[in-house]
Amino acid sequence: MPAQSPAGPVALWRTRSGRAAAFADRCPHRGMRLSHGFVRGETLACIYHGWSYAKAGNCQRIPAHPALTPPDTIRVATQHVEDGGGIIWISVGEPAAGPPRFEGLAPLRSMVVEAGIVALEAAAGTKAAGGLLDYTHDDRAVWLLLAPDGQARTLMHVLVDENSNPDERIAASRAAEALRRAAEDIARAGIAR
Amino acid sequence: MTRNTMIDGWYPVGLASQLDAHGRVTALMGEPIAVRRGEDGNAKVTGGNGRDLPACIRYGHVWSSLGDPQKPLFAIPEADQPGRRLVDVGVVRVRCSPLRAVENFLDIAHFPFVHTDILGAEPHTEVQNYKVEIREDEDEVWATQVKFYQPQAAKSAEGGITTEYMYRVPAPTCSVLYKTCPPRPAEWDVITLFVQPLAEDLCDVWPWMALFDDETPMTDLIHFQQTIFVQDRSILENQIPRLLPLDPGMEIPTRADLTSVAYRRWLKRHGYTYGAQLVAQ
Amino acid sequence: MKLYDYALSPSCYKVRLMAALIGMTLDIRPVDFHPGCEHRGPELMALNPAGSIPILEDGDLVLTESSAMLVYLAAKAAAQWLGNDTAGRAARVQQWLSFSHRLTASLGAARLHEMLLRPGNIAALREQGIAALRELEAGLVEQHIRGQRFLASDRPTIADVACFPYVALAPDGGVSLDPYPAIRLWSRAVRSLEGFIEMPGIHRLHELTPAPVLEVGEA
Repeated sequence: MPAQSPAGPVALWRTRSGRAAAFADRCPHRGMRLSHGFVRGETLACIYHGWSYAKAGNCQRIPAHPALTPPDTIRVATQHVEDGGGIIWISVGEPAAGPPRFEGLAPLRSMVVEAGIVALEAAAGTKAAGGLLDYTHDDRAVWLLLAPDGQARTLMHVLVDENSNPDERIAASRAAEALRRAAEDIARAGIAR
Repeated sequence: MTRNTMIDGWYPVGLASQLDAHGRVTALMGEPIAVRRGEDGNAKVTGGNGRDLPACIRYGHVWSSLGDPQKPLFAIPEADQPGRRLVDVGVVRVRCSPLRAVENFLDIAHFPFVHTDILGAEPHTEVQNYKVEIREDEDEVWATQVKFYQPQAAKSAEGGITTEYMYRVPAPTCSVLYKTCPPRPAEWDVITLFVQPLAEDLCDVWPWMALFDDETPMTDLIHFQQTIFVQDRSILENQIPRLLPLDPGMEIPTRADLTSVAYRRWLKRHGYTYGAQLVAQ
Repeated sequence: MKLYDYALSPSCYKVRLMAALIGMTLDIRPVDFHPGCEHRGPELMALNPAGSIPILEDGDLVLTESSAMLVYLAAKAAAQWLGNDTAGRAARVQQWLSFSHRLTASLGAARLHEMLLRPGNIAALREQGIAALRELEAGLVEQHIRGQRFLASDRPTIADVACFPYVALAPDGGVSLDPYPAIRLWSRAVRSLEGFIEMPGIHRLHELTPAPVLEVGEA
């Protein structure tokens, strides 16, 4: 699936055996976005010509030349990926430490907000700490893990208490929708002003 | 900035069959133009400042130029052969470089993945060696002896056959494909891709065909070719960068891509760089 | 049963897809919608004064609305696709069938504008399309929380067939699907169904077939 990182768009994928990987979202052959590709076994293949790449980024197979072993120079840029508590983390360089853990919380959904973090904080009436916004709505707590995508857009991952039942989770999802609407209203009003 | 050497070329700007006095407003390389039928019955094309532009009608389309064409429009002698059915496929707009649209048309290796079970299918993915040349006399790119296994090569094809192709690039945004003609093995079907450059990263594509096929209803022929092209469209709109990179370090060709290599070299040689990116960014 | 069909029309594709999923064969009558505008010609206007396609003809019955065609095909051959076994589910199916017309009016019109140069206010159409996609995403998230993979239940219904085409083709109109992970999962679930067929702009899931093993020299 497509995702964003500070180093540009990435194709995020999981091998058949369950390992997550992140590639620069561009096939070096003809520039096609690899996030449109398909996973077969331990490789991600480009939808355009079927060139397939292993988790380490090296090209494994070029269908137009089935007998050819692709040279090691054909590779896509990869980013370091960690799968922690149901959240996929990407680091552009080699990270010094593992990703943060959010004890007692479970990820619910990811949303794109057409507003910056400041507008989200204003809508929530509270400040984010360590990228996590602790938002209480109708006496219910929702945690929002925020990743900026430029100045005017934020990727918002919604976390809930891991013991929440389905009704509580649906309520949390709706609360996140309401927060997004409020933040986008604030952002729009800001632009209008 | 150097002069755009593509300015003197001919480009398709509409279907001749849809030309009327009311006309249509479109664009050519960023300049708004109007295309209509003049009082004398001929096509009349006017540029952004109201000036008259060169115009002609050929191969089902109205052609025009923003500059001063030094040559008539390229010839497709086969198009005038009696017995061929001429198919106006109609326009499809694509948010990509006009040059990327042509390059994709010259490519066969994508057939099994993008035109699955029509123009190609796994496991028949191998591209055998073929011949590519820039013909100096005609100043055209040609690829010949291109062969590929196809499950349904044409509307008139029953079952899989190994199809032979010849590709020709007579102008920077036009390509002519000659393809095995199932009902008449001695002849070639002609399938063209005429691309109207609206901007460097936006084009209107006008596929057109001249086929020996007396059986298939016209609408089926149109739908077959529209299906193929719209399958390509979602690829073309997702290539990065949008412009065609002429810097050799930017993309990696293999033997299967020799037509594209020659096409890019030919574009570079002539300075046909509207829609191209010269230096990696 | 005769379907007046256009290969690039998502509404016609709904009917072809439904028939394929339930193993029904349709008699396809291609209509030169573009560039010929045959759907506005006398023959088709006589069948459907609205001047739209698809049109489904079965004896005396002439249907001109794709949702009605889905109901008809399912009721005839595969009633479990109607998803009407409880009052709640029946209502949910109707809710999404009605919703699907908003997809046509927004994402569908944006696609016609961007691809086939039809008129329209592209910025407004995209904005309406994004609002509809967000609504669908939220609905699918809630279904996922309930443990259900499809729009109205844990099995596919005509609601999924009605919504899938214009959603999957949203990028044709310049509306990205990248922000919607639940739509992505649902779209994969639909595309993985037994009998699923593609249309231009929707690529096959090549991951469903194994990597080919080919002897060198064979081609």
